[in-house]
Amino acid sequence: MRLWRRSGVRQMALQALIMVAAFSIAGGLTLASVSRLSAEAARRRVLGEATSMLDEWRQKGADHLPHTIRKRTRLWRGFEYGLAGADGQRIEGDRRLILSAPGWRGAPTGGEGPILTYTQRLPDHTWLSVGQDQTMERRQMREVARLLWLCGGAGVLIALAASYLVSRPTWRRVDQLARAAAVVSSGDLDVRVPLRRAGKSDDVDDLARDFNGMLDRIVRLVGQVRQVTSDIAHDMRTPLTRVRHRLERLEAAASERPDFAEEVRRIDDDLTEILRTFDALLDLAEIESSGVLEGSTDLADVAARVAEAYRPDIEESGRSIETRLATALVCGDADLLAQLVANLLENALRHTPPGAHIVVAVEDQGETRRLTVADNGPGVPAHLRPAALAPFGRLEASRGAPGKGLGLSIAAAVALRHRAQFRLGDANPGLVVTASFPAASKCPH
Amino acid sequence: MGVTVDPVEDYVAPMGLSLLLVEDDADAAEQVREALTDVGHHVVVAGDGPSALAAGRDRSFDVLIIDRLLPGQDGLALLRDLRACGVDAPALFVTALGAVADRVAGLEAGGDDYLIKPFALAELKARVQVLVRRHMYARPATLLHHGDLTLDRVQRVVRRAGAAIELLPLEYRLLEFLLLNRGHPVTRKMLLEQVWGFRFDPRTNIVETHISRLRRKIDSPAGPPLIQTIRGAGYVIGA
Repeated sequence: MRLWRRSGVRQMALQALIMVAAFSIAGGLTLASVSRLSAEAARRRVLGEATSMLDEWRQKGADHLPHTIRKRTRLWRGFEYGLAGADGQRIEGDRRLILSAPGWRGAPTGGEGPILTYTQRLPDHTWLSVGQDQTMERRQMREVARLLWLCGGAGVLIALAASYLVSRPTWRRVDQLARAAAVVSSGDLDVRVPLRRAGKSDDVDDLARDFNGMLDRIVRLVGQVRQVTSDIAHDMRTPLTRVRHRLERLEAAASERPDFAEEVRRIDDDLTEILRTFDALLDLAEIESSGVLEGSTDLADVAARVAEAYRPDIEESGRSIETRLATALVCGDADLLAQLVANLLENALRHTPPGAHIVVAVEDQGETRRLTVADNGPGVPAHLRPAALAPFGRLEASRGAPGKGLGLSIAAAVALRHRAQFRLGDANPGLVVTASFPAASKCPH
Repeated sequence: MGVTVDPVEDYVAPMGLSLLLVEDDADAAEQVREALTDVGHHVVVAGDGPSALAAGRDRSFDVLIIDRLLPGQDGLALLRDLRACGVDAPALFVTALGAVADRVAGLEAGGDDYLIKPFALAELKARVQVLVRRHMYARPATLLHHGDLTLDRVQRVVRRAGAAIELLPLEYRLLEFLLLNRGHPVTRKMLLEQVWGFRFDPRTNIVETHISRLRRKIDSPAGPPLIQTIRGAGYVIGA
């Protein structure tokens, strides 16, 4: 199965998307919050140092401040200092901190340089700036962000893996169900979906159990149909055999009386007609309920064989037949497929006027293999087509024509048996019957 | 003509065959027995598997006719048992089951032919003859003939009085099958199965039409038709 067609994979992709979004939001908020706190802490530190410097100025006087700056710089308390005169000229300290405007500069994560600076004007109109290098803080923030992404990514991956591991058995069981259903629709009713121990059962097991139960019931019904069919067949065919043999002997015995012999022959003909219908009905039941079709068959081969068999009859009736055949392998039974083509040809022969042209075509369309039998006769109006396919569903216009109206039903049953789509269509003018078979890539043998 | 005629194809199967009929329906068995006895065969009837096995051990038969549905046993199993006892006569299954799968099972189990009830006695007689002939001569002659009509199975050429006749592939196979069974009627059903490979019963006259086309090609304008129609039985060359 293609990956994207799995609902489970789509669910997981959606889950992953939601998780990534959630992690991004949580990570972003965390990062913003940490960054804000860190910035505030930095300002407090800088402000604290600035206040302490102001205290120094107050206690020891303006002249002592440059000395304090040098001393504190030497002791490396982690701060930078700058002292500018009222004119803005450097008196002492780091050149980068010789500033002459009050307030904050630089930001812990901003683009204004690595030093967060607080500048204040001292009462003697000199400018004292205290700053702290924020490179370390920025690096910390980046590290925190990196860790957040890493944890988020790993979390998403771990969650996806866990969800895959958890849901894979379910997928497998859904696959088993799908495969079993496919096998069943190809005609094998023996397949069952394996069940787990009763203690572990969940909704998929319930589904599998119901599926198996449904199959059991179908098998029982099919079995009953086959049993009834074979009972009818046996119980009627044996006495019918006796009747037939008695008639044969009667006919032989009546050789002295031609009128008797003729009458017996007529009875035998009637009996033959009854038996044909009876056989066709049994065929219908058997075709519809028979087992798996094995092996691959070339539709073109079958169509050519049947078309050649019917050509003389069709030509002598004043009609013509044409074949357009391309090799097309399908899974199926050559005998049944021959019967399908034959029934379609007989149908065309019966329901077209002399002079009609019949085209038998087999096409390989890749995914499907198409068999069509088209004529240019009167056709079947769209609203009457379902009736034409029903057993004994002969259309009013053709009532009284030879044939018992089972030909198309049997053809449709054979098509269904081969998982082929069977359609009556308009050949403009005339009837076109199409059977579209699945390609023979996966025949049972 | 200077053609050497293979002696094998002059063979005509003997009429007095020894047959084993395994059928549990006494009435049906009696009818079949009478019909086959009438044409000179000797028929031993067994009503179930054990008596059929006893008969099979006791004496040899030319053809076995076995009903698929026997009391307490499938005809297929019985044939396997008979074969295990060394009975190698060709077997014809008679059955009330018609499904494709059943037929295939019958042929795979070592059956040589399959006849679905209700069958005509003429059908059964014709098939018994063909089975015997096919069994005795597994490798049939390469040159078949009837009167001045010859069919060369190697060169696939048909001649009437030395002159080649053009036949379509189906017509050739039809004539070949009739000549292979020269002297014995073959039924419409047998022709459909052997010549056309059809297991169903067409509702049109495809056999009749092909026979009449074939007749037009091989019959001489003045002479009698080579292929004769036997009502209720089928067709025959050289009856």
